[in-house]
Amino acid sequence: MGLRGNAAIVGAAQYKPEKYQTAPQMFHLEQVADLAHKALVDAGLHKSDLDGLVINGPHFHEASVFVPAMAAEYLGIEVNFAEVVDLGGCTAVAQVWRAAMAIEMGLCQAVLCVIPARMAPLGPTEDPAWMAQAMRFGGHSTAFGAPEAEFDLPYGHMGQNTGYAMIAQRYAAQYGYDKSAMAKIAVDQRFNAQYHKDAIFNGKSLSIEDVLASKLVADPLHVLEIVMPVAGGAAVIVASKELAARAKKRPAFVTGFGERLSFKSPSYAKEMTVTPVAEAAKRAFAMSGLTPKDIHAAQIYDCYTITVLLSLEDAGFVPKGEGQRFIKEHNLTFKGDFPLNTHGGQLSFGQSAAAGGYSQVIEAFDQISHSAQERQLKSCDNMFVSGTGGVMSEQGALILQGG
Amino acid sequence: MATSKPMPLATKISAPFWQALEQNELHIQQCNQCAGWVFFPRNHCTHCLAHDLEFKPVNGEGTLYSYTLTRIPTMPEFSDEMPQALAVVELSQGVRINTTLIDVAESDIKIGMAVKPVFDKVSTDGKTLLRFTSADNAGGVREYLDPLLNLERNAKGQVKVPVDNLSALYALADNTFTPWSNEFVVDQALINDFAELSGDDYWLHTDVERAKTDSPFKTTIAHGSLVQVLQSRLTIALPFEIVGFQTMVNYGSNRLRFPAPVPSGSTIHGRSKVKDISVSHKGVQLTLEMNIHVVGNDKPSVINDLVILYR
Repeated sequence: MGLRGNAAIVGAAQYKPEKYQTAPQMFHLEQVADLAHKALVDAGLHKSDLDGLVINGPHFHEASVFVPAMAAEYLGIEVNFAEVVDLGGCTAVAQVWRAAMAIEMGLCQAVLCVIPARMAPLGPTEDPAWMAQAMRFGGHSTAFGAPEAEFDLPYGHMGQNTGYAMIAQRYAAQYGYDKSAMAKIAVDQRFNAQYHKDAIFNGKSLSIEDVLASKLVADPLHVLEIVMPVAGGAAVIVASKELAARAKKRPAFVTGFGERLSFKSPSYAKEMTVTPVAEAAKRAFAMSGLTPKDIHAAQIYDCYTITVLLSLEDAGFVPKGEGQRFIKEHNLTFKGDFPLNTHGGQLSFGQSAAAGGYSQVIEAFDQISHSAQERQLKSCDNMFVSGTGGVMSEQGALILQGG
Repeated sequence: MATSKPMPLATKISAPFWQALEQNELHIQQCNQCAGWVFFPRNHCTHCLAHDLEFKPVNGEGTLYSYTLTRIPTMPEFSDEMPQALAVVELSQGVRINTTLIDVAESDIKIGMAVKPVFDKVSTDGKTLLRFTSADNAGGVREYLDPLLNLERNAKGQVKVPVDNLSALYALADNTFTPWSNEFVVDQALINDFAELSGDDYWLHTDVERAKTDSPFKTTIAHGSLVQVLQSRLTIALPFEIVGFQTMVNYGSNRLRFPAPVPSGSTIHGRSKVKDISVSHKGVQLTLEMNIHVVGNDKPSVINDLVILYR
């Protein structure tokens, strides 16, 4: 079942996370072209090599339908494979495996996977408040007939914070809750961010006391356990083994993946504290032939600290209920015995909307391709990457391996 | 209506659920084929996909599956409920419901605790939300409490609404007009004065003789903008006074229309209603719909949605 490991990430590009107010504004099409060019240069490949496109659909500024055709035309490419992925924070991981699958099926040889996430310049009739309006209800639909509009919003159930908080509360009731262990996730990742010049919190240290003294947003989550939204954008080139041989950098072969979508609201999960990444990771490991013990670094989607805890447990790195003990017993920095989110994670790198998931994918590629500079791990062949969309609603797992 | 909070819009599928709540009953769906229970309302069974669901009354007893206390409102409209105990309740039938837990002290909230429903009347017309409370509490019906009821009144008898009392502010937007103001006569002399002041001396306003033959109204009419500013001549008895703000700013108008003419010599009067209250970082924005009519005419001559910003 699954991939043979004949497709690899060969190049990447990622805008430095910046505050929305000060980040450059670019049309999304323009960002797609700019990121494509940078990623191709990174790979040492050419526009003429591209014959596949995977792009985000929602929140694409210049179109709500026919996004791939518009983007391909803008780029000036023709493709054999065009795909829109709508999986929130899981989109990056999901784009990569779809590209790898299309390549292994023989559909194409080089796929641009891209998510623009800087603001676009607004036209004279566009409301500058559109973004605030669009974000107002978080991931909640307000459409007539949308169950969440009818059964969640009237009670104040809205957005991501409280959903993740309720998952954390249930975890606490089932397994206990160690606030300082949870804070240590953010603290160890912040250490890593001191070695990534692009991280939004580069140059700002963080202690467990800082995290626990920060404002409570929704019990038990503090504001420093929650990602900061930033402008950004990212792209990777996934290419066939043959093309990868021509690439400048050491390729990161996609040897395993999994995806699982279990619900929209975690309230309707079979069990709130058993997250979809359990199934996704099981499949990814089985496909690659690796086990969690073989992984040199875990790049775990980290919109919240609780996401990291549950992902570590459900992906099989630590038994259920023992995650907090594990976190306290291990050094999670790139210098430690369990390197986790070696770029700082999105908690310290910044979350550029759906492109935030690429920070984990690209860090895994950077490690495998020996591009991680001061953060470079000595053992860097086997990377685990996870993606999480919604409120743990949809999750994906990738195993990337150096060839 | 007495709230700017998002309210449920019942669909054809869900209507029996909301209707039952208004009758202080909880009805959820059970499949006639596989006996599985389903929440939220759908037309199909999530266990067997059969289209054979039936709403059945249940007692609403259940347990607290999870919860959180909001330390920052999820939306500004919920600022008056802080902290909200957002909760997931698992009914004894196995289905889960997103709700809020009420009348339980923070320290008494325990996941797994037994809970029972509260039918919370959230508007004067009986709209009901399903909340839950500890099984040790009485539960049952929570009557609608007009947030304006217990507020102080000023010498004019107006209810004093503190600018930070959001639920009271929202309650002002109740879509009912004030009584009519005093009356005021718009005569030709006034129209002529306005023509001179504004420079708008178009014959339809000023030439009484020509208007007799050429005007569609067979007479001169007042400038729309004249009638608009005459609102200052009309004393409207607002039932409330906003208090406790630093500054009050006339922020302009969201809508200005002149649907009906005011023929020279007409008597006008006006009334208003609070159309909307919104809260943002700018402050509290009150939209007051001002209507001016020729006495006896149902169609307004001026509709002006005045925006007043308090901070």
